[in-house]
This record gives sequence, structure tokens and C-alpha cells, in this order.
Amino acid sequence: MAVITSVVYVDYLPSKFRWLPRTTAKINSPPPILISTNPLHVNPNNLKELYTLCHHSCHRFPTVDAAGRVEPVDLLKLRTAISHSSIVVSVFTKPEFLEPQSSISNGIGGEWIRNLAPVTLENGELIGFGRAVTDMALTASIYDVMVHPTLQGRGIGRMIVQRIIRMLTNRDIYDIAALCTDNERFIPEVLFFKACGFGDDMLGSTTMMYTRPPSGYSKDEQMISAGRKLLLIPQPRELSR
Amino acid sequence: MDVVVSLSTAYKLYPPFASLDCLSSLNYPFHLNRGRKNQKVCRLKAGFWESIRSGILKNNTAQVIEPPSTTEEEEEPLPEEFVLVEKTLPDGTVEQIIFSSGGNIDVYDLQDLCDKVGWPRRPVSKLATALRNSYMVVTLHSTIKSSEEEGNDQKKLIGMARATSDHAFNATIWDVLVDPSYQGQGLGKSLIEKLIKTLLQRDIGNISLFADSKVVEFYQNLGFQPDPEGIKGMFWYPKY
Repeated sequence: MAVITSVVYVDYLPSKFRWLPRTTAKINSPPPILISTNPLHVNPNNLKELYTLCHHSCHRFPTVDAAGRVEPVDLLKLRTAISHSSIVVSVFTKPEFLEPQSSISNGIGGEWIRNLAPVTLENGELIGFGRAVTDMALTASIYDVMVHPTLQGRGIGRMIVQRIIRMLTNRDIYDIAALCTDNERFIPEVLFFKACGFGDDMLGSTTMMYTRPPSGYSKDEQMISAGRKLLLIPQPRELSR
Repeated sequence: MDVVVSLSTAYKLYPPFASLDCLSSLNYPFHLNRGRKNQKVCRLKAGFWESIRSGILKNNTAQVIEPPSTTEEEEEPLPEEFVLVEKTLPDGTVEQIIFSSGGNIDVYDLQDLCDKVGWPRRPVSKLATALRNSYMVVTLHSTIKSSEEEGNDQKKLIGMARATSDHAFNATIWDVLVDPSYQGQGLGKSLIEKLIKTLLQRDIGNISLFADSKVVEFYQNLGFQPDPEGIKGMFWYPKY
């Protein structure tokens, strides 16, 4: 577990600067956060809320209601997914940093003192998440990287991805794939992953997904629903030689 | 330290465990899963060290432990084996193509098959680990039963496909290959269809794969769509 805090040593600054409120706050730097790679630290209920907040769905083609909200994640499946993901990264911060910037700067040096107390699992709230599935030798796929909307654009997502990549390369896995949705409504995932060092496949392979719907002609057809898609379960065919 | 497996013995692979055991992966790179009992012991050890480590704020990268969850009881794909097609050869012997999802593969046979289709060589140990940690591995073997003597069957690996998954939402199909002399008979299609069927029956809805340009049409015929609705696959390139 890594604990990242921005602790400011008040003694080193000249006295005339001490009471200056941080009006020119660096918007692009992250707040004090705790990054954990232990799957046990993730509470599935909090994670489910985070999925909804980030408008993220586990299905590639999610059902979206009239207000634009995605369907909530199935809790049991989420637990299964986390317990079988090789790598789980979660990011916590103190709830007050979720407030808009203006309400923080108050009092005498209040912000620095607030930054001194580190984020722990007890006082931290889940604001970022990412996971990866690997076969532990050759390949890996990164799924569900998300950061709370009010804290996006501050480098937290990139930290998550870089932590995942580092854990994978420590195990000698360099074939790392990520599926992104080119969704114009929210921060484009494609640009995000490009900034993290991802690109189109060098070997020119095409990404494909199973989308065959039931044809509706045969009564025997079996199907499952995945988000808003219905997928046909293929039946074994007779092979004659 | 080289590969522990001797050339003549087949690798017995138990149903794949997707869990990462930090202790076993550190000490035994080619750790054979000797059953669930060993797994539980290692998990206890991992918990012991974790409790010691939790007091120390260290930048630890090997934080990958499987939590003992109640969802452990859900079944892994049950191994299946059946005869896909049977043919009588001109010399009187019967050739059977047997489909199997049990994961009993000799890694050296697999390496030979990869050579036959022209793929670059990968370390045997990595192949073994990858197969062990894949959610599902399906294979095709060809068995030629000689009509005269008993017990003189020749069995060889002629096809394989594997998929990794998080057991709930996503699965990716990797490494699909069929012996060139057996291609064009619908064997590859059967392999993939069986894989898809099992994944969908377990409610795993996102099945994806990365296809070479030559086989895009093959997968389209199976129901895969290239870059559906703006979904893009990206790969990581280390910048030096």
C-alpha cells in the first residue's frame, strides 16, 4: 500500500507567507489520496455507488434510461469480478476534498493543517478504481478505470493506470490491452488511455466483440441479455466430413 | 532454473485458478496446483504476512491476494469431453476428433502446434502458466484407432483456444489455432462456438478478441462485430 500525502512543513516558510490562503491552488494536482492494491479494501457497496456516479457500466452496451443514467451494477457479479481480477487498485481520499475548492480555504492556515493528517481507510472515501485480468504470463486486459467526476482531470486516473501497468511489468507481462468506449458525452476514454501510453495495436489487429442477436426464427434459440444487447447462445452444430 | 516438466510426461492442469498467490508466485514460478488444499495453506500464510506488513507503510507492489469469498463455491467450467466427428480412413482405421475443455494439455505439444501454424515461439513456462490461469481452455485432439490392435491409438493435438475472464462480466479470447492440415473443416468454428456458449451460459456478456486482418471475416461469420459502436482496443507501448 502506498500512502501519498502532500504534507507541507510550515516551519520552512517565511512567516509572512504562512497565513496566505491558497487562492492560486494548483487545479491539476491531486488531493491527498491513499492508493491501495488490496482487493479486501474495496467495499462492493461503495464501489457500486462509484460506478453509478461515474456513469460507468460493466456492460459494453449498457441500458441507459431516459435521464441518461446507466443501470446499476449487479452487486453479486461485482463481488465475483473483483475476487477474480488479478489486480485491483482503489483510491481513497478524505470526504472534504470532494467539496468544491472555494469552501475549503477558510480559517487560519486551515488547508495546510488539513493536509497534514494522512488519509486512512477509516476516514477515506472511495473515489477511484481500476482493475485488470491477466493470465499471469502473457496477456492482460484493463477494465473499469474510473474516478469520481469532481476529482477528474487531476492525474488520479493516470496514477491508477500506471500502478496497474507497473504491477504487470513486474510480472513480465507486456501485452496489456484496454477496451475503451468512444463516448462523446463524457471524457473520452480513448484520449485518456492515449495519454497513459496506449495506442493502436502495432500488429494491426482488429478489436471485435460478440454481438450476434437471436434471429427470432427458431423457437429453440437461447439468449442472454448483456446491457441493452441480446446475445444468441450458439447451439452445437453437426459436423459432417 | 529451467522448466521442471520432463519431456515425456503430459502436464496435468487442474481447473484454472485465477487467484494470485503472492507467496507461491514468488517462490515457485512453475507452481503446479496440487489441489485446493495447498491453495488454502498459502492463503493463510499470505494473510499472516499481510497483517505484519499493514503496520508498515511501504510501497508494496505485490499486493495481490485472493480474498476467501463465499463465491468460491461457484463452479468453474466443468470439464467436458466428447467426440466431435468421426471418420473412417481409407486404410480401415477410424479417426476421431475429440473436443475437450478439461485443460489436459501437454505444453510441448502446444508449442509444436504453434510452430506448425507459424507463430513466434514463446517460453514453455509462460505457456504453462497462461493455460493454468485462463478461465477456459478448449482443445481438439485427433485419435486414430487402429482396427487390429488394442491400445495402439495415436493421439495428437490439432486445435486449441483459450479465454481469460473475470468470471462475471468480461472475457477475452486469445490464442485460437488449428493445425493447418485440419483447417477448412469447421473445426475452428466449433471451438469458438463452444467457448462462446459456455461463456454466455455463465452470463458473461462482454466477449472480445483481437483479430489479425486475415481472420476478421472468420470471426464475423461467428457473430463478432469489428469495432462495434465506437469501442476501441488499445495496447500499451512503453516509452523509453
